[in-house]
Amino acid sequence: MSSEGVLRLEKVIHTLMATSGNKNINAKLVLLGDVGAGKSSLVLRFVKGQFIEFQESTIGAAFFSQTLAVNDATVKFEIWDTAGQERYHSLAPMYYRGAAAAIIVYDITNQASFERAKKWVQELHSQGNPNMVVALAGNKADLLEARKVAAEEAQAYAQENGLFFMETSAKTATNVNDIFYEIAKRLPRVQPAQNPSGMVLMDRPAERVASASCCS
Amino acid sequence: MSSSDSSLSISSEDPSDRNHDLNPKSIEDQLASTSLVEIDAQEPEDHREIQNGVDYASAGEGSHHQEIENNDEEVIVDAAQEELPSNFGVPGGLVEVEEASMGLGRGGVVWMRTNSELEVDRPSSPSSSGYAGERGSSGASSGGVSGTDEVVEDEIQEDRNDAVDDVLDSQASWVPGKRHVDEDDASISWRKRKKHFFILSHSGKPIYSRYGDEHKLAGFSATLQAIISFVENGGDRVKLVRAGKHQVVFLVKGPIYSVCISCTEEPFESLRGQLELIYGQMILILTKSVNRCFEKNPKFDMTPLLGGTDVVFSSLIHSFSWNPATFLHAYTCLPLAYGTRQAAGAILQDVADSGVLFAILMCKHKVISLVGAQKASLHPDDMLLLANFVMSSESFRTSESFSPICLPRYNPMAFLYAYVHYLDVDTYLMLLTTSSDAFYHLKDCRIRIEMVLLKSNVLSEVQRSMVDGGMRVEDLPVDLLPRSRTFPHLGQHKLPTDSPDRFRESYAGVGGPAGLWHFIYRSIFLDQYVSSEFSAPISTPKQQKRLYRAYQKFYTSMHDRGIGPHKTQFRRDENYVLLCWVTQDFELYAAFDPLADKALAIKTCNRVCQWVKDVENEIFLLGASPFSW
Ligand SMILES: Nc1nc2c(ncn2[C@@H]2O[C@H](COP(=O)(O)OP(=O)(O)OP(=O)(O)O)[C@@H](O)[C@H]2O)c(=O)[nH]1
Ligand SMILES: [Mg+2]
Repeated sequence: MSSEGVLRLEKVIHTLMATSGNKNINAKLVLLGDVGAGKSSLVLRFVKGQFIEFQESTIGAAFFSQTLAVNDATVKFEIWDTAGQERYHSLAPMYYRGAAAAIIVYDITNQASFERAKKWVQELHSQGNPNMVVALAGNKADLLEARKVAAEEAQAYAQENGLFFMETSAKTATNVNDIFYEIAKRLPRVQPAQNPSGMVLMDRPAERVASASCCS
Repeated sequence: MSSSDSSLSISSEDPSDRNHDLNPKSIEDQLASTSLVEIDAQEPEDHREIQNGVDYASAGEGSHHQEIENNDEEVIVDAAQEELPSNFGVPGGLVEVEEASMGLGRGGVVWMRTNSELEVDRPSSPSSSGYAGERGSSGASSGGVSGTDEVVEDEIQEDRNDAVDDVLDSQASWVPGKRHVDEDDASISWRKRKKHFFILSHSGKPIYSRYGDEHKLAGFSATLQAIISFVENGGDRVKLVRAGKHQVVFLVKGPIYSVCISCTEEPFESLRGQLELIYGQMILILTKSVNRCFEKNPKFDMTPLLGGTDVVFSSLIHSFSWNPATFLHAYTCLPLAYGTRQAAGAILQDVADSGVLFAILMCKHKVISLVGAQKASLHPDDMLLLANFVMSSESFRTSESFSPICLPRYNPMAFLYAYVHYLDVDTYLMLLTTSSDAFYHLKDCRIRIEMVLLKSNVLSEVQRSMVDGGMRVEDLPVDLLPRSRTFPHLGQHKLPTDSPDRFRESYAGVGGPAGLWHFIYRSIFLDQYVSSEFSAPISTPKQQKRLYRAYQKFYTSMHDRGIGPHKTQFRRDENYVLLCWVTQDFELYAAFDPLADKALAIKTCNRVCQWVKDVENEIFLLGASPFSW
């Protein structure tokens, strides 16, 4: 964890405290990744159950919210679907600042998008909330014939960097709800406001890292 | 309201009348005072003759002579018969250069250039690297600098001799997004396009091209760059090159060059205005801080920074042929009952007081209401560019968005943050702020606004207005007596077609009284215009585009230097009778049947002005306009 990270921790905890109730957790989640990796498609699948073949490139960032019930709690995701376009890169901190979770998306048929994903991981490690739950999504898993990024490679990278990894398909819906569900389970559970200093991180559930995509 | 002008208006007996009300006689007086030369409608189409047939009358002293001169300038247009492309390869050899010439061609290609337009860019921060919007401290550099490809010099010399024909650039079947990406400057189809727009960098790197893939046009871009720098080295700036029926218009803004190559016969001023808008659209997306990238690396490739924005530019270019706001520099409102617009304005004002810089509620390209924080004023061009940006990007329709945008006329150097939300299919709310943290606040504002709009039925009124449409020439009231005016509402004018109140002409059933086909009224004080609905016979997009082009030409000639406070123009050709009337308060452009009677047409224009005044509460946003501060 970088020193800026430590400095930010207090602010982040405060943010989480302010937005969490007993069993209701508000969690800001940001999607990052290359142009065309499928961020909007994943969100649209998760929030509206839709898939659009010709999804338009996102401008700035789009905001969505969706609530998930996870075991003991209701998690309300406030989702920022950011634009992968290069011109918005320098504005990304505005969207990931204070986020409790991030999904970094790449396209399994596009090696460059995987490299881009790694850059995002680095940026989050150095700039982001150190307690952020970070998921790596290898999207377009339905396009097996065109695969350029091996699942094993991504899995290994994820493990090294403390991320959890899934291959997803916004088109077929494979692993889409699962990845959000998994994030929800890993979110730190914050005690109610009467005990502000005692933030309790829930034990991570037994790793159920779903490297298996529907097609493998 | 601004004060009226004494030579045009006679104060009305009705004290409640606005003081800029017109004397119905005034335009007649003006036009009657000069002899008209009307061109026979049967004559073959020849713009020179039509131009010569234009009649001017002016109440402003001493401007008459000047107008005629300006008009001459347009006449000497197509002197050169050489084809544009062959000229392009040899920038050194094709021109006659005239210092500070304003376009009096002497049989060759004309350069217009000026020393007076030197662009002064603010010095850039030496600390920023690459493009980082206007948030220097906030993030990693985007590092998108790639200066590797070299321009192939040979391509500059490439011979392009094919004749460029008129290929009808049909706008009727306009589809968003870039067309003909497969083309490049070697394709015949590409060369035949009537109107090209390019953006390139001062090192000759392509940034944007209307047609064809930018990267394939590197050679062509380098040629354009060579022409510009050839003249710039002499300390001048290229503005216009005429070559045969082509005009090549240049706009130089720091390291960014915009070029239009057109054979549409639009006036130079219009094309230049269009380039200004295209450049403004680019600034809206990137801010002017993009210039810094070129200071770091003159060969910087800007195309990646504009990724995904083809649709924004193509929709803007499309609007040049249908949206009068692009040359009027005014905006238009959705017709609404006064109270309805007031209700919308009140809630927008409420949020503006809570730290929102601009709150804008629009339906397609029409304003429902808009409010600016104190002292903040929004330029109509910025509104046009913002609305175009939002409407052309599907991304905004999916959910709530919060995006950086720059208003070039407000502050070209910095981003604002735009909260955008569609309230229904066509109606959208834009809340602009300077704070990048304001999203949740703006979201709350939107929820409040939406609630109020629903409760006060504004949204359903908006829907209704969309269906009903605006002013129709067929509904032009005949009665001019101020005391018996009975038009509190626009909708009440929709009389049945057999109404006795209606002017009937021999060509009845087509257009309005006296052969009135269409009009545009622009209020100078409000920065707003109202345009009548299109109806037969101006019913196809092609006819509409032709009429807009005619208006545009008219507008340019009315706005030439030396314009007096009042001016009228009456022009008859085989397509229309066009009548224009400019005063300090308004501009009226009206199109009539080419066989229309002149005196009747003039009378009708007076009626139109009266009608507009009578319904101004509904067609204009009055009072709360941020322009009035
Ligand atoms: N076959 C397949 N196509 C997908 C999948 N997800 C997205 N796509 C397609 O990939 C394209 C890009 O998807 P988007 O969701 O717009 O990508 P994005 O990451 O939001 O892109 P930006 O907003 O530009 O950053 C679209 O045409 C989608 O239809 C997927 O799982 N399978
Ligand atoms: Mg997207």
